[in-house]
Amino acid sequence: MTSTMLDSITGVGGPSPEAVIRVRDVTKSFGGAAALKNVSLDVHAGEVHALMGMNGAGKSTLVKILSGAHNPDLGHIEVADRVQTQLTPRRARRLGISTVPQRRELVMSLTVAENIMLGDLPNRRSVVRWRSVADEARAALDGLGISIDVGHIAGDLTVAEQTMVEVAREVRRGGRVLILDEPTACLGADAAEQIRALVRRLRDGGVAVVYISHHIDEVLGIADRITVLRDGAVVRSGVTGDIDERGLVRDMAGRDVVSERPQRAAASRDVGLAVRDLSHGRSIDGFHVEVRKGEIVAVLGPAGDAQSRLFDLLSGRRRPDRGALCVDGRPVPLGSVSRALGSGLRCVTGDRRSLGLIPDLSIDENLLLAQDRLAGRRLHRSSALARRAAPLRDDYRVVSLAKNPPVGRLSGGNQQKVLLAKWLGTRPAACFLEDPTNGVDVAAMADIHTLIDALAREGVAVLLASSSAEEVMRLADRVIVVRGGRMVAEHEINGITRDELVATVLGGELS
Amino acid sequence: MSIGSPARTGASETAPQAPDRRWRLPDMRIPHSGLILMLILVVALASFQTDSFLTTTNLLNVLRQVSAGAVIAAGLTLLMTAGGMDFSMGSVVAVTTAVAAQLIAHDQPVWLAIVVSMAVATVLGLVNGLVVTFTKVAPFVVTLATATLLDGVFLVILEGLSVSVGAELSELGNGTTLGVPNLLVVAVIVLAATAFVMRYTVFGRDAFAIGGNEDVARLSGINVVRAKLVLYGLAGALSGLAGIMLLSRLAGSSPGTAGLPMQLTAVAAVVIGGTSLHGGRGTVVGTTLGVLLLGVVANVLNLLQISSYYHLISVGAVLLIAAVANQLHNRRK
Ligand SMILES: Nc1ncnc2c1ncn2[C@@H]1O[C@H](COP(=O)(O)OP(=O)(O)OP(=O)(O)O)[C@@H](O)[C@H]1O
Ligand SMILES: [Mg+2]
Repeated sequence: MTSTMLDSITGVGGPSPEAVIRVRDVTKSFGGAAALKNVSLDVHAGEVHALMGMNGAGKSTLVKILSGAHNPDLGHIEVADRVQTQLTPRRARRLGISTVPQRRELVMSLTVAENIMLGDLPNRRSVVRWRSVADEARAALDGLGISIDVGHIAGDLTVAEQTMVEVAREVRRGGRVLILDEPTACLGADAAEQIRALVRRLRDGGVAVVYISHHIDEVLGIADRITVLRDGAVVRSGVTGDIDERGLVRDMAGRDVVSERPQRAAASRDVGLAVRDLSHGRSIDGFHVEVRKGEIVAVLGPAGDAQSRLFDLLSGRRRPDRGALCVDGRPVPLGSVSRALGSGLRCVTGDRRSLGLIPDLSIDENLLLAQDRLAGRRLHRSSALARRAAPLRDDYRVVSLAKNPPVGRLSGGNQQKVLLAKWLGTRPAACFLEDPTNGVDVAAMADIHTLIDALAREGVAVLLASSSAEEVMRLADRVIVVRGGRMVAEHEINGITRDELVATVLGGELS
Repeated sequence: MSIGSPARTGASETAPQAPDRRWRLPDMRIPHSGLILMLILVVALASFQTDSFLTTTNLLNVLRQVSAGAVIAAGLTLLMTAGGMDFSMGSVVAVTTAVAAQLIAHDQPVWLAIVVSMAVATVLGLVNGLVVTFTKVAPFVVTLATATLLDGVFLVILEGLSVSVGAELSELGNGTTLGVPNLLVVAVIVLAATAFVMRYTVFGRDAFAIGGNEDVARLSGINVVRAKLVLYGLAGALSGLAGIMLLSRLAGSSPGTAGLPMQLTAVAAVVIGGTSLHGGRGTVVGTTLGVLLLGVVANVLNLLQISSYYHLISVGAVLLIAAVANQLHNRRK
């Protein structure tokens, strides 16, 4: 890190009079490996500035620097024309920088209202005025067109709703910069559209928005300016009109990425996974499906609808009110994790943080967590572990700066790859996948889609819960649309277009 | 987390533009270096203050004294790593000494006394485990209740009196093997076995997984209920073993033996050693260092004939300093 780096300050875009934040030659390393290298960019008022890049490219690290959670090793950032050396989260907030981090930060045991008003509870002589808390929180949500009861406990909300609450909280606190780290990663089409509408409204009001997403059409549709990071360095920064989808992908991945529906042989006639009359409270009612071996059936619905409950019920974590499950023709009692695992059914959660991985354990140990237990291993040697984990790491292209860090230190997308590898490496007979490409980059998404194709080709029955119509069109042979806990439609994928599918999900047509 | 990344090049040292003015501990690449440093400081200080500290007799004596505590601390490390907690181990130790002492005093064979009292201890641990796993009441609450209850049972068994076992167990309590006190041999074996289990067996890794995230552990096919029962049972069994060790050293059981105070010292040692109260992290090496540190501090205060009031003050202070140091260490990573 010599003067050559410092010399190149003139960097990207050039200083602009109305830039609210200027990032100059920022370098940040973790344990010797650089997560950001010499990054410079400007964030302008009244603009949506998208950050794009592969998993581990350094987007979230940049966000953490902008929000004061990390300090840069080299370089600096300027906010409102002043160089900020010791930015802390508090100071950043005072400077008007609001952040919705990639990892949701609500207090799960408090109500929505308290979460929104946190740190700023209306009070009279230190006594909280609960009515104002609820009123102001409700106003904040209404202002964004969000209908969530402010009396609910945050932990009971779906991930989509939690995201909305968090955005509402940051918007209420105001400020001139709003940073959103993958706000739409776990949202369905309609909720994502709500978020985007909100972002446009804020931008038109003069707020500078930093927006991170792996969805290319989303970014092309909303961003005024795009900066692409690769391996911690800026490879491209410019106004949106100058960049097309293909160029963007090539900038991010360093190569072309194609993900196309392969020709798959017709599925066998044997049913690999059968669910009958599955019902649980009001969240899911009379769900039934038969997935043949080698077939991929998708369950599509608004985020947080019936498909999100399927994981709990099929994995055995919760016992449904009613229903039956057959794997490979054999009945499997519901409500028992060990029986579900024993039948060869593998359920991959969409909530990797609380149900998928153990953040303090290493990558290798997480990769083999289930496999070793299912194989009934007794002894554990880290050298042997590394050897057995290596092929999984390669197949799933898990990228980490250190050799084998705790999995919690990986970037979000890489954690997702570890989660999939952990389960798909156990030779499943049937599979339930919930949002398998949640938060992964374009290349990894293509990889994961290929892996799921391969899974089906090997004769595994795959049930896929998704809130993305694109993903369903890419992967599934058949799609079941759910709404309000009930099945509302079922289509062969060849017999429907993407737009018709979206319309069905939104309730345009019942068939 | 004890695995420091060797390739840490200290990027912040080469960062003239972002001086980090926050106060920092010296770079601690060696695991537990803070604890080792404290231990060295105390030993150095003690050897300056009194000649009687650095003698073989005294040092062996310290080790004999901490052996029983080390055995329960080992069990507690494993249990706490799995996110559990047992406040009743010291009280189980007490009950064990009382049961064994009464049996021996009533002319039962020594082996029978040992087998029965250790079986009782194991069952008591299992009962804790059953209550914790099946009622889902917080282990903290359950075992604090059983601790109090057992302290009472202990007094009932002894009928409030001291019961001597004479020289029946002196081979264990005072004997040596190749010059090493037998008590120490037992403690070292238990510590080493625990370290082995935690590092090289799937059962030990299950403990880390359960402590790290119980839901994930269960969904990954780990039999969480069974693992917890085994862990609590093991805690009980090791308390029983510690009870026999203590009985052999004291040659009797009397009101005031072991109980909650012993437990608190063990918890302190484990926490000082860096085991997380939330589970998911723990090392036997840390625990061993914690046990030694507390043992040495107690010994030094004794040698310097400082009033026992200061004993509590110093244990508290050591615990506080070590806990803060651990926290700073973790935050730096
Ligand atoms: N606290 C940390 N300690 C060590 N390494 C870290 C830490 N935080 C991030 N990293 C590493 O820095 C790199 C950049 O991570 P970052 O989270 O910024 O990626 P990202 O671009 O946000 O990726 P994703 O799209 O997957 O969220 C990754 O390789 C990650 O492993
Ligand atoms: Mg990220």
